[in-house]
Amino acid sequence: MDAVTAPLFRMEGVSKRYGGVRALEEASLRVEAGRIHAVLGENGAGKSTLIKIMAGVVQADQGLMELDGRKVAFPTPKAANGAGIVCIFQELSLIPDLSVADNIAISDPPTRFGLIDGRAQRRLAEEALARAGAEDIHPMAPVKDLPLSRRQMVEIAKALARRPRILILDEATSALTAGDVAKVFAVLKRLRTEGLALLYISHRMHEIDELADECTVFRNGRNVATYKAGTKTGKEVVEMMIGREYSHVFPPKPAGRDRTTSAIEVRNLSWTNRLTDISFRASPGEIVGLGGLDGQGQRDLLLALFGVLKGLSGEILIDGRPAQIRSPRAAKGSRNGMALIPEDRKTEGLMLPMSVRDNLSLAALGTVSRFGVIDQVKEAKAVEEMVSLLAIRTAGTGISVGSLSGGNQQKVVIAKWLMITPRIILLNDPTRGIDVGTKQEIYQLLRRLADNGATILFYSTDYDELIGCCDRVLVMYDGAIIRTLEGADINEHMLISSALNIQTEGEARHA
Amino acid sequence: MGAAIIGFFNRMDRAVLAAFACIIALLLVGSLYSSSFLSPEYLLQQLQVASFLGLIATGMMLVVLLGQIDLSVPWVLTVGGMMSTAAAGWDAPWNLLAIPFGIFCGMALGFANGIGVAYLRVPSMIFTLGMNAVAQGLMVLRTGGFAPQDHATEAMRVLATGRLVLNIPNALFVWGIVGAVTIFVLTRTTFGRAVYAIGNRERAAYLSGLATQRTVLLAFTASGGLAASAGVLLAGYSTKAYQAMGDPYLLPAVAAVVLGGTNILGGRGSYLGTIAGVILITLLQSILSVMQINEAGRQLIYGAVIILMLLIYGRQRKQI
Repeated sequence: MDAVTAPLFRMEGVSKRYGGVRALEEASLRVEAGRIHAVLGENGAGKSTLIKIMAGVVQADQGLMELDGRKVAFPTPKAANGAGIVCIFQELSLIPDLSVADNIAISDPPTRFGLIDGRAQRRLAEEALARAGAEDIHPMAPVKDLPLSRRQMVEIAKALARRPRILILDEATSALTAGDVAKVFAVLKRLRTEGLALLYISHRMHEIDELADECTVFRNGRNVATYKAGTKTGKEVVEMMIGREYSHVFPPKPAGRDRTTSAIEVRNLSWTNRLTDISFRASPGEIVGLGGLDGQGQRDLLLALFGVLKGLSGEILIDGRPAQIRSPRAAKGSRNGMALIPEDRKTEGLMLPMSVRDNLSLAALGTVSRFGVIDQVKEAKAVEEMVSLLAIRTAGTGISVGSLSGGNQQKVVIAKWLMITPRIILLNDPTRGIDVGTKQEIYQLLRRLADNGATILFYSTDYDELIGCCDRVLVMYDGAIIRTLEGADINEHMLISSALNIQTEGEARHA
Repeated sequence: MGAAIIGFFNRMDRAVLAAFACIIALLLVGSLYSSSFLSPEYLLQQLQVASFLGLIATGMMLVVLLGQIDLSVPWVLTVGGMMSTAAAGWDAPWNLLAIPFGIFCGMALGFANGIGVAYLRVPSMIFTLGMNAVAQGLMVLRTGGFAPQDHATEAMRVLATGRLVLNIPNALFVWGIVGAVTIFVLTRTTFGRAVYAIGNRERAAYLSGLATQRTVLLAFTASGGLAASAGVLLAGYSTKAYQAMGDPYLLPAVAAVVLGGTNILGGRGSYLGTIAGVILITLLQSILSVMQINEAGRQLIYGAVIILMLLIYGRQRKQI
């Protein structure tokens, strides 16, 4: 605070309350030009609130903000943008039906005679995409046709098109593939040398190790420490974040499991041009990972197994007998006993305005009702059991699930499916954008479920997870399983090289 | 006791409270004009008239909760009225079927709506509008060229206008029973839970393994049946069925549902709110007609008041 030169941006004693909840308390932060500043903390630690205040989305209750040593206030996001603070939020903000160029220029499109100048807009978009290292995206492509990871690149280009001085990235890489992350990092490093200040928020520790110059750790709405990157070990950092001792992230894998019976067996499964001749089997007690680059058919495979996709060819056998699964309703039925934890909890997993109770019992309504009438006592009991089993932090089961933190929302999605006691659990990237503590609980839960005889099929974009959790990993490429990794073969090198479907050392390192 | 009342109000939606407040305000305004507005007889009469709208709004609410809309109400209602009076002309024992036959015809049209929306995935706004025209065509076809039997049966008249118990209109009992069943269905059954879930996010509901298509089909069938039963009652009320008898009911039905706090995009709303909305709309119409304002002025004020009330409390909250 008594530095001679004022930093580019400084906030001091900033507090924010939502109703009775203290989201941020006496927080302070200094951001220097030409540096990458990482902000760490569990979900609900106050990071998002901090960013929203910086970006003018919400107003602080008290405290002070300075830009170039001058006091500033941002009543609207537009004001913050005008001052050069641009934020890439965790939730994608693109409009699916508009083109990439339209989206990039959406807040301030170039105009001629009062009409949008399409050519200038396209030029602007091309330039921004190039700055973001995503030249391969066509500016005229509709955003809805892009996979999630490409959309995220558009999001970054959109932010760069606004010529920021401070760029805030909130979990901006959580949807990206390893290849894209490397590209984004190169871009971020270049921006740093150009003198931008970057505020980087991520749950992935190795990303922070690679990028950050300074780190600030938040816990329960306060900043608990600021330190130079590299001066603390990963273990120390995580303990600062969760405020308690942190032992094994991943539960130990049991050795030598019996694989003679198969709970699920897939034979020559194909679907349009997205899934090609997929065959595999998995036994009770096994956690089978789905690896590979993002968008190689892993999601389609899970949806196909769960009866969402129409027009499949091939065979699916459950407990050794052929199963016709035509809808999620059939998939979860007692004959198949399947559960799918979907990719996007906000649009596929939960009804945010509905209560925790209503969300939890939704998939299991059949088990707590008779002739279509819900047994409220039974329902309440089952819900309470789940809340305590997964340690869901909620002020009650009657409040809306949208008011919970991201990690707790994800727990609700998982708990909702555990209520039907599934025998086969399909998980579609279940830990995306949630905090370390919750992730750890989920890993342990998965292992416990497997030990109790469930078969788990687990798609993750995070290689650490696949390595730490899975007994086997099926690596997918272009809609087909190209390799199965087992035991010691499940390591980062093997995962990446098989994901890229290449063998040579040099190209594997490139990723 | 006091705490219990406060707790009750806290649990109630703000919109529902606002609707009830508007009802009281309307009654007070009316009583300035004429003291008879607060007489029990006038209020009972209003509730009797409200019962017809109440039945329609019940079906509309189910559909709106799903995030859909039923624009076929006017002519499905007419079908209900005209088909029941047609059945009234059948030979002796069969004319007893007048009421169920009218309702059945409405349910059939509602079922067709449900097939179109749930299985063929046509937007309900277009499909039900088309169904409205189809129903109209069918009714014109039926009456074209000759005068069909159009008189209501005694049972229909008694149901719509009679007062068998404690001087309370029978129609109000009908609405009361339908309302009680609806409240039970919405709050206590898996069907009700599915309706709210689909209205919030159909994809998440489908991925949760709910029978989404069947739920939508059922809701539209119920809406058709309820609109037709309102037609049956209205035919009994005015002793005959006639073309376009349902035309004045579409806007009031949608307005009553929305004024009662049900989210027009689906997923949120309570039946208590719909009750309030129905009474509110009925009172508004009654007061405007008692004040002897001409038709044009009445429409103007009626529309303006609905828009005004929506501005005050019907707007969607920005959150989520």
